[in-house]
Amino acid sequence: MTAHAGDAAVPAPPHSHRGRYLAVWIALLLLTGLTWGLSRSHVPGFAGVAIALGIAIVKGTLVALFFMHLWDRPGPSRLVLLSSLVFVALLIGLTLLDVSTRSPLALPPDADTAPEALRRTILEEEAAGRRSPPERLPRATP
Amino acid sequence: MSPLPAGDPPVYAARNYLNTPATGLRSWLTTLDHKRIGVMFLVATLVAFALGGVFALLIRIELLTPGPTIMDAMTYNRIFTLHGVVMIFLFMIPAIPSGFGNFLLPIMLGARDVAFPRLNLLSFYLYLAGAAIALWGMIHGGADTGWTFYTPYSTTTTTKVVPILLGAFVVGFSSILTGLNFIVTTHTLRAPGITWSKLPLFVWSIYATSVIQILATPVLGMTLLLVAIEHAFGWGIFDPARGGDPVLFQHFFWFYSHPAVYIMILPAMAVMSEVVCAFSRKNIFGYKAVAYSSLGIAFVGFFTWGHHLFTSGQSPYDAGVFGVLTMFVGIFTAIKIFNWVATLYRGSISFKTPFLYFLGFLFFLFFGGMTGVALATVSLDVHWQDTYFVVAHFHFIMVGSTIMAFLAALHYWWPKLTGRLYSERWGLVGAVLIISGFVFTFLPQFLLGNEGMPRRYFAYPARYQALNVASSAGASVLAIGFSVVLVYLLVALRHGPVAGSNPWGSRGYEWETSSPPPLENFEVVPAFERGPHEYHDLPAAAPGAGEGRHA
Repeated sequence: MTAHAGDAAVPAPPHSHRGRYLAVWIALLLLTGLTWGLSRSHVPGFAGVAIALGIAIVKGTLVALFFMHLWDRPGPSRLVLLSSLVFVALLIGLTLLDVSTRSPLALPPDADTAPEALRRTILEEEAAGRRSPPERLPRATP
Repeated sequence: MSPLPAGDPPVYAARNYLNTPATGLRSWLTTLDHKRIGVMFLVATLVAFALGGVFALLIRIELLTPGPTIMDAMTYNRIFTLHGVVMIFLFMIPAIPSGFGNFLLPIMLGARDVAFPRLNLLSFYLYLAGAAIALWGMIHGGADTGWTFYTPYSTTTTTKVVPILLGAFVVGFSSILTGLNFIVTTHTLRAPGITWSKLPLFVWSIYATSVIQILATPVLGMTLLLVAIEHAFGWGIFDPARGGDPVLFQHFFWFYSHPAVYIMILPAMAVMSEVVCAFSRKNIFGYKAVAYSSLGIAFVGFFTWGHHLFTSGQSPYDAGVFGVLTMFVGIFTAIKIFNWVATLYRGSISFKTPFLYFLGFLFFLFFGGMTGVALATVSLDVHWQDTYFVVAHFHFIMVGSTIMAFLAALHYWWPKLTGRLYSERWGLVGAVLIISGFVFTFLPQFLLGNEGMPRRYFAYPARYQALNVASSAGASVLAIGFSVVLVYLLVALRHGPVAGSNPWGSRGYEWETSSPPPLENFEVVPAFERGPHEYHDLPAAAPGAGEGRHA
């Protein structure tokens, strides 16, 4: 059975792009070096992560485009790469949304010191006779 | 293609995939035929289902009394972990896509095989290898983490969590390869005349499932690997004591595992779209709406994972966003339910066994879905989280719906798989036992959860005993129902009447070939001029009118 109505009747391109592979390989090595350099240069906080992720995405894209031949394929195949990036962005984006909004809403800025401050206030009120001992709170754990 | 062959005498195809090219064990184990690989997947997943079912029964026996009944707390932890791991990774995820998908998808496309037959066989052996590794872990102590492997406990427990993680990791590769095969096959191997708008709805849903398998499963692999690394080397990835973030694990885990719910439910919907047309003898109502809603569920399913983290320390802002996004899934599911019910309207309905399972499916999907919408509301979820309400919810929506669809598929395509018919009378008895058993098992659990009984405890206050006994009694009915089905299907395998090529009078493309199909699926390259769900030009004879006689 050979007759088909499928969409992928495009012949595979010949694998004779030695120069191209070499250039991509060198680019990947340079980008790996850049990531290593970045880890040594102490770029502050989120910027360092963002740059490292950007480099990783460029490297992955180079591999998919040239080593996996997406560069020579028609549009729909490249759409697969694009949609994969969308889902990676989704995973990282909604997770970061959690991390970046977690502290201000879930824990107030003085959360670490609040129990101790409250304990002191209660002790002071007890000493002044304004509060009875059974209401005393346990000591805050460090 | 010929119309309904109801009047033709049923014929058992002499040359078929069961005896061609050979019948020996070696010819099966080295086969590249998608039908045989599909059947092997079906047998393997059914064995896993039986194993998971035994674990479920042990859980229900233990919960008959408030205190220890037949096991201690640690054994109970291990048993419910094994129940979850086996049922999810070894049965529900692969059963319909890898079993029925493999058997049917190429035939429905008019193709001779999948695009990569060797990869297909590799997929089966990866499944077996993953199952064997997990089984090794189970025999050597098992894990006590629950199937979700939540950190930091899973990275510190002394039970055999690593081999079970590794098993799930390897099974994930099987899932990816199957999904890849189906996508490429659908794009490249459609027979002349099968355009995208003439694809069977089964194929649309399996295609959407494959997209999820490819996009989400690697994240599970990555996550399980990170847990194994942290467990083995003590790196601080998820363990807060070492500077990690346990909520990060839950984000990664559920990014796969929530869409995995749709890996289970989309194939179930795939089956039902075929069954509802065949047994109401009606064209599907709103073909494009049903087809595109599969893609909609697959897409929106990726935006909802955070609803598993409402009480886990996730920010309230993120929880609110995920709560709203979760409800979008309900829209696409409702489209399907509306269209199936509209298909039934003024149809020539036949209450055969697969149709009974369709009714059960509709009930479980709707009931489970509505409780899901309630659980997506953060303020309600805080009350129900980690109670039996959640257990009952996901058993209704995920397990109930999937099992209904699996059984409907098994009965609907049994004549195509084996060339023989099962006993319709026993079929109805089995369906009634299973549907009622399932309801009686899990309905009490909704009430238990609402009263505050937490999940994953082997002891409970005495006031919960009556509902727990009711649930265990339901599980017994369920077990009897499955035993009945197993017995009459095994009998039918050898002694069932010959089915003929199309005993249901279905318009699906797969019924155009003989039963069981030949090695090449069709004797000549088929050319389909009509759609796969077009019944408007047929007489209103009840499905089964062409049922056969003994060979």
